[in-house]
Amino acid sequence: MVTTLLSRQVSLRRILVLGAATVVALLFLSVPMGATDYVIYVMVLAFLFAALAASYDLLLGYTGQLSFAHGAFYGIGAYTSALITLRAGLPFWVAFPLTGVFVFVLAGGVGFPALKLRGAYFAVTTFFFAHFVYLVFLNSVALTGGPLGLSGIRPPEGFNLPILGVVDFGSLRIYYYLALAFLVAVVGFLYILVRSRLGRLFVAIREDEVLAESIGINTAAYKVLSFSISAGLAGMTGSLFAHFFRLLHPSTFTWMTSEMIVIMTLVGGTGTLFGPMLGAGIVTFILELMRFAPELRFIVWAVALLTILLFEPKGLAGIAVRLFGRLV
Amino acid sequence: MMQNVVFQTVNGLIMGAIYALMALGLNLIWSITDVPEFSQGGIYVVAAYIGYFVVVSANLPWFLGLFAAMGAGAVLGFSFEKLLYRRMRGMTLNLLLSAIALFFLLVNVAVWLWTPKARFLPLYVGGEVVFFGLQFSRQRLLVLVLSLLLFILVNLFVWRTKPGKAIRAASQDREAAQLVGINIDTVSSLVFSLGGALSGTAAALISPLYAVYPAMGDLPLLKALVVVILGGLGSVQGVLIAGGLLGVVESLGATFISSAYQHGFSFFILILVLLLRPRGLFGRV
Repeated sequence: MVTTLLSRQVSLRRILVLGAATVVALLFLSVPMGATDYVIYVMVLAFLFAALAASYDLLLGYTGQLSFAHGAFYGIGAYTSALITLRAGLPFWVAFPLTGVFVFVLAGGVGFPALKLRGAYFAVTTFFFAHFVYLVFLNSVALTGGPLGLSGIRPPEGFNLPILGVVDFGSLRIYYYLALAFLVAVVGFLYILVRSRLGRLFVAIREDEVLAESIGINTAAYKVLSFSISAGLAGMTGSLFAHFFRLLHPSTFTWMTSEMIVIMTLVGGTGTLFGPMLGAGIVTFILELMRFAPELRFIVWAVALLTILLFEPKGLAGIAVRLFGRLV
Repeated sequence: MMQNVVFQTVNGLIMGAIYALMALGLNLIWSITDVPEFSQGGIYVVAAYIGYFVVVSANLPWFLGLFAAMGAGAVLGFSFEKLLYRRMRGMTLNLLLSAIALFFLLVNVAVWLWTPKARFLPLYVGGEVVFFGLQFSRQRLLVLVLSLLLFILVNLFVWRTKPGKAIRAASQDREAAQLVGINIDTVSSLVFSLGGALSGTAAALISPLYAVYPAMGDLPLLKALVVVILGGLGSVQGVLIAGGLLGVVESLGATFISSAYQHGFSFFILILVLLLRPRGLFGRV
């Protein structure tokens, strides 16, 4: 009797969650039909930042490594993809996966020496790497256009679909769906990854690195792998940004970008994947809403952040737990 | 050529002294809280403005400006610890996040109140001194001498006095220090005030050579963090040597290799040193 009641409650809960998910999905899918261009534009940016925060969560939330280089890999991805299409003339659909592979390998090369360091030492080293990458964007004029920026980037090539007709990615509304699809793919991939054997190895390193090592886990290799996967995803997000914004400037990829991603992730609650996405969305929208008072933007934002830290140290995920008793 | 090398080395040492001054406070704070204290970059900016107002707007002598900046830094450091950090003790990520938020906050308050426009101070002391046929401005030498003096004073305080001993104990093992009756709240207040005062002084010392503007704290903060890591956490003489090394390499690198990458050299030194000595040059194992 009790068990059937319980199982009925569980299935009811599952139906509720599925129903809510469907409503949210329909809402997101229908946004381009009603909203203004400006709102859609901000939402595309929010999707990209959500993908950055979720991929960063793999490194910080699941593997326990604090890095300040995520914005740098995002920038490297943006410039790489733009240069592949501009200089080599390859289509976006080739450049996009190529960028992911390139940033994945590059991050392996950086992570291999850097991840020998632990904790704050690693964090500060990545901080400097981010600054160094910014200097390269700014100063290698022949390659990146330096302070003049890199312009003339084309939107992804469109294609014909049987019923819908020509899909033109130069249109803001179509790009909205591309960014949304990318975000869903990234989160789906990460969701499966963190529940796999590999994901559990990452969590073992986060929980106790020495203990993980003592039971035979090659912690150095897995830390580099987590760093590379998370960076590769950031690089692909950068590629999507480059072909959306179509103008790259070094000032988009200063160390502040990396700090913002760290803050979004922590505000949302680490190690939850969905928390950081929500954090990214909320931070992007708060900063946009405050455009009417540009000087006060970061002041209000910093005060709000400090308030959250003082009164709800676990981030938005902590508030959700408080409200609903558990994390949905 | 040779003259240029000597000249740039001395200039580098002066910059290094400023980095070391800021890094000294950071190092003390970092070793007792386990957190790179980013808000020192914000304290640096606000203290530089306070010094500017005392010297230029109120037209008072330069050493009063220096003391005002030092005091402002100490007050800011003290109140941040009292109001925020104390409640998050032990939560490393939250401490780090608050420190970054405070850095954002102070820099943007400076932009809001005082506009992003650069302001210039008169030199504290004018004129030049000639050593072996090389000219050095008195201002630069003043910076070097005063920072070394402060460095020695802080060093004496940490190594020769009772409160200094308490700081060292707390940095080695917070709980054991509490067990033997050290009041960790007092030690934290002391260290944060000291760190703020050192950052404030560094800002007021260097501002006549460059300018006072809201983004002036970014690079010194970055460099001070490198110096702490290079020298090794908890090592006071490490800070001095790493500061000097970084200043000289940057100065020579900018002159003879590439001025565009002046601020990138620190990254290579950092990687190189950490690969050879993962705990920094003089760090505790």
